[in-house]
Amino acid sequence: MIRLSALPRLTFWRIVLLFLLAAGLYSTFVRFYHGLGAATNLSDQFPWGLWVGFDILCGVALAAGGFTVSSIVYIFHLERFRPIVRPAILTAFLGYMLVIGALMFDLGRPYRVWHPLVMWNPHSVMFEVGWCVTLYTTVLALEFSPIVFERFRMKRVLKVLHFVMPPLVLLGVLLSTLHQSSLGSFYLIVPSKLYPLWYTPFLPVFFFLTALTLGCAMTIVESFLSSRAFKKEIEMSLLTDIGKVTLVLLGVNLVARYQDLSSRGVLHLAFERTYEGRLFLAEMLVGLVVPAVLLAFPAVRKSQKGLFSAAILVVMGILMNRLNVSITGMERSSGASYLPSLTEVSVTLMIVGVGFALFTLAARYLPVFQHATEDPGPEAAWEDAEPARGTPPRVPAAVAGAAAFLLVSAIGLTYDGVMRRPAAPARPVATKAPAPPNSVALSTFRMPPDVPFRESPDSPAPVMFRHGVHVDSWSPDCVSCHRDGFSMVRTGSARTAAAAGAMHKKCGQCHDGTSAFSIESDCEKCHAPSLAK
Amino acid sequence: MITTREKKGILLDTTRCIGCGACSLACKERNRLPRTSDDVLSDTLSEKTFSVVNRQGPRFARKMCMHCNVPSCVSACPVGAFQKTATGPVVYDETKCIGCRYCMLACPFNIPKYEWSKTLPRVRKCDMCADRLAQGLATACAAACPTGATKFGTRAELLAEAKARIAAEPKRYFPHIYGEQEVGGTSVLVISDASPEEIGFRTDLVSEPPAMLTWRVLNKIPNVVTIGGLVLGGIYWVTKRREEVARAEGREHDGESGPHDAEPRSREEEHEK
Repeated sequence: MIRLSALPRLTFWRIVLLFLLAAGLYSTFVRFYHGLGAATNLSDQFPWGLWVGFDILCGVALAAGGFTVSSIVYIFHLERFRPIVRPAILTAFLGYMLVIGALMFDLGRPYRVWHPLVMWNPHSVMFEVGWCVTLYTTVLALEFSPIVFERFRMKRVLKVLHFVMPPLVLLGVLLSTLHQSSLGSFYLIVPSKLYPLWYTPFLPVFFFLTALTLGCAMTIVESFLSSRAFKKEIEMSLLTDIGKVTLVLLGVNLVARYQDLSSRGVLHLAFERTYEGRLFLAEMLVGLVVPAVLLAFPAVRKSQKGLFSAAILVVMGILMNRLNVSITGMERSSGASYLPSLTEVSVTLMIVGVGFALFTLAARYLPVFQHATEDPGPEAAWEDAEPARGTPPRVPAAVAGAAAFLLVSAIGLTYDGVMRRPAAPARPVATKAPAPPNSVALSTFRMPPDVPFRESPDSPAPVMFRHGVHVDSWSPDCVSCHRDGFSMVRTGSARTAAAAGAMHKKCGQCHDGTSAFSIESDCEKCHAPSLAK
Repeated sequence: MITTREKKGILLDTTRCIGCGACSLACKERNRLPRTSDDVLSDTLSEKTFSVVNRQGPRFARKMCMHCNVPSCVSACPVGAFQKTATGPVVYDETKCIGCRYCMLACPFNIPKYEWSKTLPRVRKCDMCADRLAQGLATACAAACPTGATKFGTRAELLAEAKARIAAEPKRYFPHIYGEQEVGGTSVLVISDASPEEIGFRTDLVSEPPAMLTWRVLNKIPNVVTIGGLVLGGIYWVTKRREEVARAEGREHDGESGPHDAEPRSREEEHEK
């Protein structure tokens, strides 16, 4: 008997998680038992879908908070940001573990995931990303390890780690810079496939810039979420400052993207009523314009709700960017129309769910928020830190209104864009069109050479197959004989009795006495003694 | 890596093709592939079909791996499963492949196909009969072609022949050799009486090998690492020094810089204990 009281209480989110896990595990079975073809909507035309676009591209970008915050604290020595380092590193570490997990689903042969570490191809972007992600996950594990060692009070190890932390962080920042940008470089090799709104030689630069921006936004979002989940106060003054940095980064992004589009002369594509144009505008509004407008107001940066909404928008917009590059922008040239299958979606949701669950567990049992809980501090410490006391700042109604309007238009644009999705061109129907006039081509027709078949032990004489007797040189039809049985690559080898029997059977398909003379009757019509040497 | 003199190639001339399908069948036979279509001329490339000959209006045109001079698949593959051999064929080593499908994404001609229905899939494509070439034989498709529409030879000779054919009969041919310049040149060359679009070939390709676009970024990595490392190290040193100086100068500044600066400083001291 299991005592029900010993089981964890079923909350709403735990039920959701259980559901996601169940669906995801079933999909995992489908994926590994029946293969990628049965589990996904991927095809030869569209080889990369949701698992690369979301689980890997978005997953790595979402984990960018790790290197942004750790560099702020360990390299720029902005010590007051230390309380948010641990949650950021935890998020990043879990993020990378999940990305590697997701990769196992997408790779055709996941058990060979280690191959790039041994079989080198320095010309491959993916080789570089493979190495960087492996090394950076190791670095993150080391950056995260003090939390575990503290839990178990292993002082000596902690001392060593404290000493090596700055070089480790430095290495982590370099590795992140390399692979965050390289995820964009993936697509540099397809200039004729990726839609021009997204294809640019600056893809790696933009991927890195957006990763930095997303790192800041994620730090804000994640601080809010954990403050709610763990009932701890928000370090509001820190987050306001991160909001300011985010604003600057958004500005840089906007200017860079505009410059790039206008210098390549494709800016007009954004305003065309196409699938791509609409989704591009939506991405820009959600991820760059609206949050930049919001964050430009100090009142928004200082209000919890304002800052949180702006950060969420940045996160969503940059995720839209990754999906647009990997899916929207690749669809038209592929000629295929891709929508992820239920299996793909449920695996992705399971991975996201596992991420949340692991974060919650780690935060509960390890000293992740230790600094925040150690000094109790006054209630709502962040408000005290603000120069303006009293009521928390209110977001001006006009700003909120404008943002809401832009957001609604972004949703409208997305809807309109999806409606304008290019339909997959119908597969050409195999019509028996009349044979085209090919008299010119026919003039180059050369009758294939005769094929000698050597005699088998009990054969009356060797056989010489003559193409000239069998083929009408004005309407040569190679396929009718060569499709079934008659080899083109290895010819003329009937030497054994078995091979001779097979040849009789093949020739007998036509030489049956009705279409042509029978193989049973006139042996000498084929077996010519004159050929024997 | 690539010696041009030895490089083999295939010249396709659609004006000589009678659409008999012998090339497709010979390819299937040589690669031991199953039959996929009743009508050879309406077959499509797949993991079971490496070469097709299709109707393009009044003409027949083949589709197969172009065996690029600087192949995108070779550049994209993270484990080097694809290799450009010295004699021209782009070959695939299935024992290395991890199944990431970046080759399929990268290929400008959409040639590599995947065994989607298998639990342990491979990438499949034409390998220009690399083993036959090693024996001094022509590719199976070229050996089977009864009209010379598919001709095997060294790339240089075939290029010269294509030029000669076009020069000899300028009215018969469209004046373009597809594969001479496209994506940096390909081992398979195509000439026709129609433009490349009309016989189903993309013309929006860059003339520089796409692999160079990624390589130009990748070869900056040593610089990024060196310069980035120095800059970050410098920032680390400067900010640390500034903090030490500020601490040594005494605590009168603490009052000005607010409670947030004071808090971590005490924590830093804890770390040092």
